[in-house]
Amino acid sequence: MRGAQRRAPWILLSPFLVLFALTFLLPVVYAVGQSFTAVDRRGLFGEGGITSSFAGFDNYARALDDPTFVASIGRVLLFGVVQVPVMIVLVTVLALLLESASARWPGFFRAAYFLPYGIPGVIASILWSFLYLPGFSPIVAGLGKLGITVDFLGEGTVLWSIANIVTWSYAGYNMLIVIAQLKSIPGEVYEAAKMDGAGPFRLAWSVQLPLIRPALVLATVFSIIGTLQLFAEPQVLRTVSPAIDASYTPNFAAFTSAFTYNDLGVAAAQAVLIAVAAFVLSFVFLRVVSRRDS
Amino acid sequence: MTTTSRRAVLGAATAAGLGTALTGCGAGTAAQPVNAEPTIPAATGPVKLTYWTWLKDLQSVCDAWNVDNPDVQVEAIWIGAGNSGGYAKMFAALAAGGGGDIAQVEFQLLPSFLLQNGLVDLSRYGFRDHLDSFRPADISRVSVGDSVFGVPQDTGPMGLFYRRDVFEEIGITPPATWAEWLDVARAVKASDPVRRLEGFNVNDPGNFTSYCMQAGAEWFKTDGEEWLVDLTGEPTRMVAQFMDQAFGEDLFDLSLGAFTAGWYAATAKGQIPSVITGSWGDALVESVGGTEGKWAVAPMPRWPDTGFASATLGGSTAAVMSTSKHPKEALDFILWMATTPTAIDLLIDNSGIGWSPSPDFIGTKREQPSAFFSGQNYNEEVFVPAAGEQNPGWIWSPIYLELNDALSTAVRGATSGGTPLVDAVADVQDRVIDIMQHKGLRVRSAS
Repeated sequence: MRGAQRRAPWILLSPFLVLFALTFLLPVVYAVGQSFTAVDRRGLFGEGGITSSFAGFDNYARALDDPTFVASIGRVLLFGVVQVPVMIVLVTVLALLLESASARWPGFFRAAYFLPYGIPGVIASILWSFLYLPGFSPIVAGLGKLGITVDFLGEGTVLWSIANIVTWSYAGYNMLIVIAQLKSIPGEVYEAAKMDGAGPFRLAWSVQLPLIRPALVLATVFSIIGTLQLFAEPQVLRTVSPAIDASYTPNFAAFTSAFTYNDLGVAAAQAVLIAVAAFVLSFVFLRVVSRRDS
Repeated sequence: MTTTSRRAVLGAATAAGLGTALTGCGAGTAAQPVNAEPTIPAATGPVKLTYWTWLKDLQSVCDAWNVDNPDVQVEAIWIGAGNSGGYAKMFAALAAGGGGDIAQVEFQLLPSFLLQNGLVDLSRYGFRDHLDSFRPADISRVSVGDSVFGVPQDTGPMGLFYRRDVFEEIGITPPATWAEWLDVARAVKASDPVRRLEGFNVNDPGNFTSYCMQAGAEWFKTDGEEWLVDLTGEPTRMVAQFMDQAFGEDLFDLSLGAFTAGWYAATAKGQIPSVITGSWGDALVESVGGTEGKWAVAPMPRWPDTGFASATLGGSTAAVMSTSKHPKEALDFILWMATTPTAIDLLIDNSGIGWSPSPDFIGTKREQPSAFFSGQNYNEEVFVPAAGEQNPGWIWSPIYLELNDALSTAVRGATSGGTPLVDAVADVQDRVIDIMQHKGLRVRSAS
């Protein structure tokens, strides 16, 4: 009886554990293994045979020695420092406006803001690429008529054009997370605040903001991880922007190493570095936030 | 709680990963070199072959063969274009031991497939008896020593397509030399500040590579089992200096690479009145809206006292993948496809190939003048001579895509006020040597 009780959770967990091991643990182990592997070829192309050998941290050294990969890390850090706060502020303002007592048609606007999230990232990037492309874009043409020349795809601007696509795509989704938390605030709290004479701004600042903090923290962590994983937007915009190289973001660099260059060792090292960076950044952010809590 | 478990997982993963690495986990390549195994004899019964390609409607060409060859039936399987996922699919199939019998592989990618031991040496199945049916320069790019790894099925000799009406309006004629090209480009820019003679795709500087090929550069050579790399020789320096000059004077439209969406719009308006590209460019130029009868074709400009009349851009081979069970039959079909006039006509009419691989037959349709190109018989006038005047010493490296991206980085720097291209090619050469060494190859600088 006791034995059966001890076995039961494992049996119930086993479908999850099997899938988790096959689709998560095994690929991670395989990738980490590959990141320590180098190849050697005999003959001009390896026609005399190909062998793999243990390479130590050589692949990691090569990844970090590649100026384009290092530049891609700096690029997404800059992107994150600007885009994540801008989006979180925007998300908070939108959510508070839609949940305020004086909001008109909140249901309609909630759906409207959420809609871009339903468009796959690649499609969204293609749509925006036409809004950025001179000769096609009504925005570029309209500004040109006003005597303003803009280049959305240039070296200094294209990163922010990508930030715009990302914000457009994900702001509505994060807004819903915040709205869900706002809705869970009990009515008595609002009543009590009103009794104490709080106006709408005071209510937002002193009651709603502190209570939606967990949702904001969650949205921020997702956004930090999402920033490190930027891939589809730069890959699509590359077809119209000469400023985007094949390793514009760390994930793009890992993809290029693996599937364009067939250099699986370096690709695995790059992927491991990205995972570690996402882990460290999320961890640091959560630490900072929780320290302020206590 | 979460952090502890994640850390534990990472730790365990690292330890386990080291274990796997030490026992030697594979690198996604076929371990047993196919060309060291005995040849596969011709089949005794009926055979089915598959042909992985991104040529459209290739099945109609295969059908013509299938009617006459009931024992060897060929099925065309459409895959995405090489760099849009086709190659990734082929590499994955090779690693998994499956895939088609025949694969479309561009000339410049053939050596990359050799790195994966992915192709059958066709000389072992008698291809050397048919070398006379092809152009020597095309054969030199599919050969390594006595081995031959692909059959040219579609090549891309280069020429200059231009908007005749815009050229006449500005009062310029197609440049015969690259020095004249600079003058013509200046005149185009002076006629209207938004106009440029040509676009240049910073993300894919294949044109720069072709210009170096035309100038007589030999970036790669082999010496026994060793590769010799030379990106700093005189021809390359001359072309790089020319590019620096053109970039410095802002003579290219860098935002509109040839045949991009924006390029079509600009070219239709006459904002970019010419493009130097492979013969296959004619079909793309014909899709520039509202310009019928306004185009003409000229030979590409030449370098002073050196090099060749033309170069190539693009072009494909049909190769037999190492996983094929019937290489002999596959080669029979490919040879029929690449050398028989009926097959070449079908390839041109249905699949729109760029240029016939046969020196003896360019295709019935291409022997006629074209109304779109101002009634000019441009194929015989421009591309027949261009196909014959090629750099025979040029071979492609096994790291084409890496090199192309490294050149792209160098061009991006040169066009945004960084290191001039003429100096950056030395860095590219160092990088190439480093990349090849890490592929496990033996390589040194030729200079």
